[in-house]
Amino acid sequence: MQDTVLHLQGASKRFGSTVAADSIDLAVGAQEFFAVLGPSGSGKTTMLRMIAGLERPDSGRISIGGSDVTNLPPYRRGIGMVFQDFLLFPHKTVAENIVFPLRMQGMAETAKQENLEWVLNLVHLTGLEKRYPHQLSGGQKQRVALARGLVSRPALLLLDEPLANLDRELRKEMEIEIRRFQLELGIPFIYVTHNQEEALIMSDRIAIMRNGRIEQVGDKLDLYHNPGTAFVASFLGSPNAFEGRVVTVQDRHAVVDWFGNRVDARVNGALGAGDTAACFVKSEKIVIRPLSGGGDGLLSGVVRDIIFKGQYADYIVALDGKREIIVSGPPQLGFRRRDTRVVLSWGVDDCDAFAAGR
Amino acid sequence: MTINMSRIVQTLILITLYVFLYAPILYVVYVSFQENSVWPFPPALTGQHYESLWDQDVYRAGLENSLTIGVGTGVIASLLATMAAIAVLRYRIRGRAMVAALFLAPLFVSHVLIGISSLIFNKSLLGLPGNVGSAILANATYATAFAFLVVLAQLARYDWRLDEAAMVFGATPSVTFFQVTLPLIWPAVFGAFIVSFLLAFNNLEISFYNLGATPTLPTLAWGELRHGISEELYALAALINFAVFLLLGVLYVLLRTGFLKIDYRVE
Amino acid sequence: MRGDRLRFWMLVLPGAAFLVVFLVLPLLSIVVFSFWRTESYQLIREWNIDNYATLISDKTYLRFLMRSLVMAGIVSLVSLAYAWPVALFIARHGGRYKLVLLLLTSAPFLTGEVLRVTALQQILGPIGIINMALQNFGMESVEALMYSSTASGIGLTYLWVPFMVLAIYLSLLNFDFDLLEVAKVNGAKPWRAFIEVTWPLNRAGTAIGIVLVFIPTLASSVTSQFLGGPDGALFGNILSHQFGATGTWAFGSAMGVVLFAISLAVIGIVWRAIGDFRRSGITIKGLEG
Repeated sequence: MQDTVLHLQGASKRFGSTVAADSIDLAVGAQEFFAVLGPSGSGKTTMLRMIAGLERPDSGRISIGGSDVTNLPPYRRGIGMVFQDFLLFPHKTVAENIVFPLRMQGMAETAKQENLEWVLNLVHLTGLEKRYPHQLSGGQKQRVALARGLVSRPALLLLDEPLANLDRELRKEMEIEIRRFQLELGIPFIYVTHNQEEALIMSDRIAIMRNGRIEQVGDKLDLYHNPGTAFVASFLGSPNAFEGRVVTVQDRHAVVDWFGNRVDARVNGALGAGDTAACFVKSEKIVIRPLSGGGDGLLSGVVRDIIFKGQYADYIVALDGKREIIVSGPPQLGFRRRDTRVVLSWGVDDCDAFAAGR
Repeated sequence: MTINMSRIVQTLILITLYVFLYAPILYVVYVSFQENSVWPFPPALTGQHYESLWDQDVYRAGLENSLTIGVGTGVIASLLATMAAIAVLRYRIRGRAMVAALFLAPLFVSHVLIGISSLIFNKSLLGLPGNVGSAILANATYATAFAFLVVLAQLARYDWRLDEAAMVFGATPSVTFFQVTLPLIWPAVFGAFIVSFLLAFNNLEISFYNLGATPTLPTLAWGELRHGISEELYALAALINFAVFLLLGVLYVLLRTGFLKIDYRVE
Repeated sequence: MRGDRLRFWMLVLPGAAFLVVFLVLPLLSIVVFSFWRTESYQLIREWNIDNYATLISDKTYLRFLMRSLVMAGIVSLVSLAYAWPVALFIARHGGRYKLVLLLLTSAPFLTGEVLRVTALQQILGPIGIINMALQNFGMESVEALMYSSTASGIGLTYLWVPFMVLAIYLSLLNFDFDLLEVAKVNGAKPWRAFIEVTWPLNRAGTAIGIVLVFIPTLASSVTSQFLGGPDGALFGNILSHQFGATGTWAFGSAMGVVLFAISLAVIGIVWRAIGDFRRSGITIKGLEG
């Protein structure tokens, strides 16, 4: 087990009557790329600000590198941060922006220069030292912000939705770059985002937050394939969600009745026969075959539309007058026409069932 | 077509306002260079009025006093107003709306009241005669409100998260202020200084009640005005107008460059 | 962040204390003095309400007060009518020149009341350019242009209109002009759009502008002294006499209190008439709550 660099214990914060953070416990290790994922208002930014020292928790403790920093002001915590709007100092050059943290530490001139050169190399910004922020492109500003956060080789780096303001192409590029930086530096990155794709691409572990609490935290693949709550199941991937009545339960295998059809699901939590279950099955886990192929399945329907997405396609299958399921699969599946009758099936572990109403 | 008409009408109204505002001033400037100030046509240029202005000691003294009052007021007002504006915009403390109201209140109190109240207060309760010092203090109450407005209007565009960023990177609040905030907002502060200076420099009633016989340029001008025509007065008016416009030009440049810095997100 | 409240008050206290000591206290002391008496240029500490009694009973003072109120009202309305189109134009079509135009509007104000009255005299006066031109061309000079309430009115409007422009402009800065497009699309002609959309959403700016013009005009003395003629004396003139020639400070204080009270009343009335501030559009970014 890696050393824990960041440790939150029971950190809570409220603003007026709103609880922004509700007793958060978190431990992040030395080499981790840790994503905090959640919808807006989930408290992820508040948590990040508490770690940075910009908000003081009403209760609980925060420690970095083993020392309790709960009551330390931000300028004594020795961390780096990358902000959503970059927040580069407009009156300073790229070089001056980047060495700012080093200046605050009182570092000697030669050491500053060395660090500056090192980080400029890292983010591929050599040559732009004398420019001002307003003369830079979005991508360049992003790199300067990253450089500034990394230059002092802090104990950890906080990132607050840093790619939100970049266009798609740039974002894809930066996602890989940022991952690379983390691997090279070997310090923990705490990456806050509402974009689950980003989180899944870049991170090792993910914490999913909702209403100020951490719903689930764990390895990203684990969270993806084995969601612990209905919310997590609905948040990651592109799930089809439906409610049905549990018919039988054996160990963790449930048979759920969905508008007359019996489908298999994996049980999470307490679920008994007769209960209403909220079920989630990710679109890529459903197997779709034409009816004419003589296949047997859990559900049958008609392909209403096919949405071609390049590497894969979404098949919108109408099950009856009202219900639809979206299946993701390779674009050429032998039936590229609408109105084909198809059968759908999935394995027990591909569909997660939870007690409805959470 | 209708759009163009209303645009034309609006432009006309705007122009008439500026003509209304500036015609008298421009005329005075014109007259100050003329020999005959009553019917200065055809134009006969002369600089004698300016010369005689310069030669008279009392105007010199007036200038000195006005400058002192102006600078004193400018310094006090801009400092107090800047501190308050930063506090009100930066910190979400309950009661900041009240504070803002307090600082804007002097705008709604007439000069006369400020002048006489400070005079009476000083004389009767503190036993001090009116002097340049008390004139500065009295002017500062009024000017602070203006300075507050100027700084507030500019500062509203400042992104306080820059301060937060600086602190995360190790800058203490005071280092943050001098390294990040001040370099970005100083045009606004200086602008507040200029406005306060001008207000106090040209103020009649507040200064008058506190100074009585001690001359300031406005009181001298007032005295001249009571005697009817005075060519020196027009020369004085022209000079002061020139000074005001010069300073406002400086203010304009400052605010423009200030915009460029503070609005860094505008590409 | 911790310590924020402390920092806030530390920044605010110097200015607040300054204003209390040098503005609030003196104003309060006037209230006190208004209940005393003056004898041979000395304030005597005898509590009485004679000053107020005189003010209420003596018809002359009431007359001056009424005259000032009417003058202030008219000047405010005229300024309002004039300032609105100007502020609207600058806010809407100013573009890069917004700041310039605004500064140009405000610049004359900063040159001081005396000089501006001087300039006006040059134009309106009996030997001002208008009358001189008339005479030169063989016509009679127009007496009414000078030494009349009209002249005072013009002068006061001339003085204070920049304030009104500024107040309305600041309010318009937060106004979403696209709303007018919406109105237009829905069939509103320009004037209608103004009444239904622009005006109501900028009531705060209008209110502040009115107050900023009304109150100084009410107290003004210099302008009426030079432009108003013998019948043009206003409340402010009488007020300043009490602190000049006659030396009756106590009575003058009472007048000052009356003036202040009326100013507060005006602010109160306007505040009420405006209603909910937030609906009327004034928000200095970040100043809510």
